[in-house]
Amino acid sequence: MGIFFHILKYKFIAFVKATFEPKVVTVVRGLGSLLVFGGFAVIAYLFSLELTKFVLDQTRIGLFLFHRFISMLLFVFFMSVNLGNIIVSYATLYKSSEVGYLLTKPVPYTQIFVLKFLDNFLYSSTTLFLVALMVLLGYGTYFGHPWYLLLGVMVFVLVPFMFLSACIAVLVLMSVVKVASKWGFRKVMGGLAVLYLGIVVLFFQFTSPIKQVQEVSALGGNVDAYFRGLESGFLSYLPNNWVSDVLFFLARGETNLALLSAVQLLMFTLVAFMIVLFVADRFYFRSWLATFEFQARSNTVESGRKIKLFDFRKTSLLSPQMESLLKKEYFQFFREASQWIHLAVMVVLVGVFAISVGNLNPTLRVTEIQTLTYLVLYAFGGFLSCSLALRFVFPAISLEGQAFWSQLSAPVDMRKVYVVKFVMGFLLVLLLALLVAIFSNDPFVRLSERRPLLMYFGVFSAFWVSVTLVALNLGLGGYFANYQEKNPIRVASSQGATLTFLVSLVYLFVLVSVVIVPLSQYFQSLFLFFPFDMQSIVVPGTLVGILSAALTGFALVIGFRSLARDF
Amino acid sequence: MIELRNVTKKFGSLTAVDDITLTVPKGEFFGFLGPNGAGKTTTIKMMAGLFAPTSGTIAIGGYDVIKNPLDAKMCTSYVPDQPFLYDKLTGREFLYFIGGLYRMGKKAIAQKIEELIGHFEIGDWVDKRTEDYSQGMKQRVTIAAALVHEPKVVIIDEPMIGLDPRSAKIMRETLRKKVSEGVSIFMSTHSLPIAEELCDRIGFIKDGRLVFIGTKNELQTYKQKYDGKFESVFLELTK
Repeated sequence: MGIFFHILKYKFIAFVKATFEPKVVTVVRGLGSLLVFGGFAVIAYLFSLELTKFVLDQTRIGLFLFHRFISMLLFVFFMSVNLGNIIVSYATLYKSSEVGYLLTKPVPYTQIFVLKFLDNFLYSSTTLFLVALMVLLGYGTYFGHPWYLLLGVMVFVLVPFMFLSACIAVLVLMSVVKVASKWGFRKVMGGLAVLYLGIVVLFFQFTSPIKQVQEVSALGGNVDAYFRGLESGFLSYLPNNWVSDVLFFLARGETNLALLSAVQLLMFTLVAFMIVLFVADRFYFRSWLATFEFQARSNTVESGRKIKLFDFRKTSLLSPQMESLLKKEYFQFFREASQWIHLAVMVVLVGVFAISVGNLNPTLRVTEIQTLTYLVLYAFGGFLSCSLALRFVFPAISLEGQAFWSQLSAPVDMRKVYVVKFVMGFLLVLLLALLVAIFSNDPFVRLSERRPLLMYFGVFSAFWVSVTLVALNLGLGGYFANYQEKNPIRVASSQGATLTFLVSLVYLFVLVSVVIVPLSQYFQSLFLFFPFDMQSIVVPGTLVGILSAALTGFALVIGFRSLARDF
Repeated sequence: MIELRNVTKKFGSLTAVDDITLTVPKGEFFGFLGPNGAGKTTTIKMMAGLFAPTSGTIAIGGYDVIKNPLDAKMCTSYVPDQPFLYDKLTGREFLYFIGGLYRMGKKAIAQKIEELIGHFEIGDWVDKRTEDYSQGMKQRVTIAAALVHEPKVVIIDEPMIGLDPRSAKIMRETLRKKVSEGVSIFMSTHSLPIAEELCDRIGFIKDGRLVFIGTKNELQTYKQKYDGKFESVFLELTK
């Protein structure tokens, strides 16, 4: 283990030196980050506290249902961490040049594996830790839990929960690599996507929130009690259930039962980690070698010679420069597994969400409920656009990498390069945002007897928000560009990316806040026949327009200027 | 074709290039020598438009690289010291990409690519993605990319790194041929024999300052002051 800690020590030194450079720019950036992170942490805390208050005090659904809903959210969270880790780990464990270098040194394979696994887990989960902690604090404040208890829950429950998800992710990944070396990478990834989709669909089949509300209402009695009979068999053994049970029992003051669930989770995580170590000891190096097999299979002279869609040899109506830039972007994206797989996963999830939401049938003519439902869907759509822009637009300039010299030293106006990146990112974000906007507005158009106002608003908003978020991510992505990092996911989870994401969320928060009043007035006009003044949209709409335009302009300018920096 | 006037580049308190003035006329092969960290790559990067000078001006083909960068770059080719390519493109695609950036037509690019593949003996590798290339193969493709658009000025940073003896020979012959066709070449190198063999004029840089500039004949005279060896002149000038 001496070598392990020796490498860890130098990795830590390198990290500290890179993060805490004694330069004015670094200090200013650090203070800026601290401010944004701090602001975000406060918002996350308040949001969690207010939401808990609203759900428990206003809707009075009771502790049991509330924690079942938390369990569902935790399941989605678990799956997101899991999928994210599969994609990131592939780049970290198999494509990293550091691994190639360490493998030439007398370091045991398992130690290299653990180093990269931890590196990956800690690096990509920093923001999630912050969000989880603040949400937990907000939740815990409602119940009057002391801070040290919440810290304990964070360290001994939530972190192991995320770690378990990461452990399962690397186990899946090693199996995928092994199988893909025989069957081909694309086929195996396709199968895996279907499997994951099936798991998500099945989970929600068994744990329909509406069904749970109906069952609890039917049983009546104390809504804060534990309805053991309503547990659906094997689902109670899922880790998300253990976490929600810990929270539930703590809320009821049943510390012993909470401890029992926590120990269950910890033991399970420990066992999972032992299995990971066992498998890594036997298969990591072999699977690392296997990646070369399927890489060699996909990179042959024959496949290179085939005339492909958007092939460079084909002529087009575009100018030679524009054509070259567009085709290069296309091939760079669709030949990078971590890019197209992540996009495919997100497209499928967005599709599932859009169709599920489109099938909603809101019948309750209650202003507060419909306003809240609309806002939740609207915010989720915005959150999705934020995530897409962060993941695919923010890294766009960094991913030019060291080969960017070829464009910077060529007679290309950098505005063209910038425009190409903006347009491609914009089309991607806009298409998915429109999909969500159309499907999530459709039920409300039906509710309003086919009045299209909300649909117009949704589509217009999707367009405007996409412009702003893409500009923000491209601009700040250029400002924080790291041409040394080849892994898009690491770029998208860097400090600069996190900062950009938080700014995007604050923008989204402002947007949602501005919409509340006119939206509520609109539903009042529908349900209570109050007059609806279109002017009520104009002022907030103008304010949002100005804010969006200012953000867009600011980000685009600093991003473009960053291209003129020394390379 | 290349004109540097009082060019200085500072990185914070460090002066990497200090008040360099030099001219490379049409059809001249200029060798730029100096020890590690002397400022060779910084000078070259400023000429290629990758760094902006702190002060002074650089003109290529009569165009200021800061005021008219596109015109200056149109007649220039740059070969970096490390042949970084886009991993996911094949060699052929990269060459098409570069041809497009120089606004060439498809037919002209295709013709030139076939010629360069043969000349630099790239063979079937041209249709494989560059992520599987060796350092030498990457270098060959990078140099081929520099010649796709028939530049008037070639700026090369350490061209022989990673090349096997046969490729290095092809490279030397190609560069000499280009010079005879009227192309100006500005080459930085550590290799004294290569500089002596290829260059018409040589400049030595030390701590960012140009400490010697002269023709091959002037260098010969200078060499006699020492033991007649180029290496001794280099060691003395860069001491």
